[in-house]
Amino acid sequence: MMWATRRGCHVDRTACVWLIRRFVDPGARFSFFGDASEAPEGSELFDVVGARLSHHGEDCSFETFLKEYDLKDPVLLEIAEIVHDADLMDEKYGRPESEGLDAVIRGMQLALPDDETLTRHTDALFDGLYAYVGRDVL
Amino acid sequence: MEKTRWLLLIYRIPREPSRHRVAVWRKLKALGALYLQDGVAVLPEDAVTREQLEWLQVRIREAGGEATVWEASANTMSESRELVEAFRSSREQAYRAIVAGAERLRRKAEMGAGGGTLPEKLGKLEREFRAERKRDYFRSSLRKEAAAALKAARRAVRERGAAQSREARGGFAAGESLGEGGG
Repeated sequence: MMWATRRGCHVDRTACVWLIRRFVDPGARFSFFGDASEAPEGSELFDVVGARLSHHGEDCSFETFLKEYDLKDPVLLEIAEIVHDADLMDEKYGRPESEGLDAVIRGMQLALPDDETLTRHTDALFDGLYAYVGRDVL
Repeated sequence: MEKTRWLLLIYRIPREPSRHRVAVWRKLKALGALYLQDGVAVLPEDAVTREQLEWLQVRIREAGGEATVWEASANTMSESRELVEAFRSSREQAYRAIVAGAERLRRKAEMGAGGGTLPEKLGKLEREFRAERKRDYFRSSLRKEAAAALKAARRAVRERGAAQSREARGGFAAGESLGEGGG
């Protein structure tokens, strides 16, 4: 399936890409657009204003994904708190990891040429975070 | 001087329930936005502020309010400069409080007072500083001062901690290890 989101991914979108690849759609393909009108026809939009898979109420898009796809993995729920704090900067969950995650991904954004490359790198980052958080939770 | 580009959030939100209104106000405050007047908040334009305001717009609409986000530039250079200055001074009070807090902690540490809570208090100040720095869009002149005060406090608190563990070890036989300082 084709998934589409805005260019210039930061924590929430890179986390969503990882979540889609690992837990929702292993064969996922991605398109990163400047304007929503450039999204490929029939693609599923995420983290885009007005989309089903986007911010709702206090939730960031990653949290919306967990609810929409009924993902109850406790490790994902913890990662969602970290992503939320990094994305919305409201210290809702007081997760100290969010500051480091924010800094690393902001830096990767500057150092890497495009979102395709960025998300390949952040996939490894979130795999690591999953293993790290899972150590305590499971 | 390059013309600063601004983003305006113009909104109206139902009075009740008040939690939505408060949440929006809190979020704008956390972003370091200024109110030009009731229901009109302004931030300098960049990728982060744009995205944050877009999500805030969604939240306001979901709460039954109205909200639009506009790109703007001030009509005259002097108005623009005034706004930049207002942003700088809006951060200064917070920086001053951080400087004062850091100096207090440094003095306590140097006098050997303050119990074991100093590192925790310092950590809190450092977090506040990082939050201020994020919303200090025009580099208030007090930023450096606050950073230096925190650094000095950090040094003093660490030295005090080291002195305390030396004292604690004083009673033991030489060469005994307490197994501190793992990697």
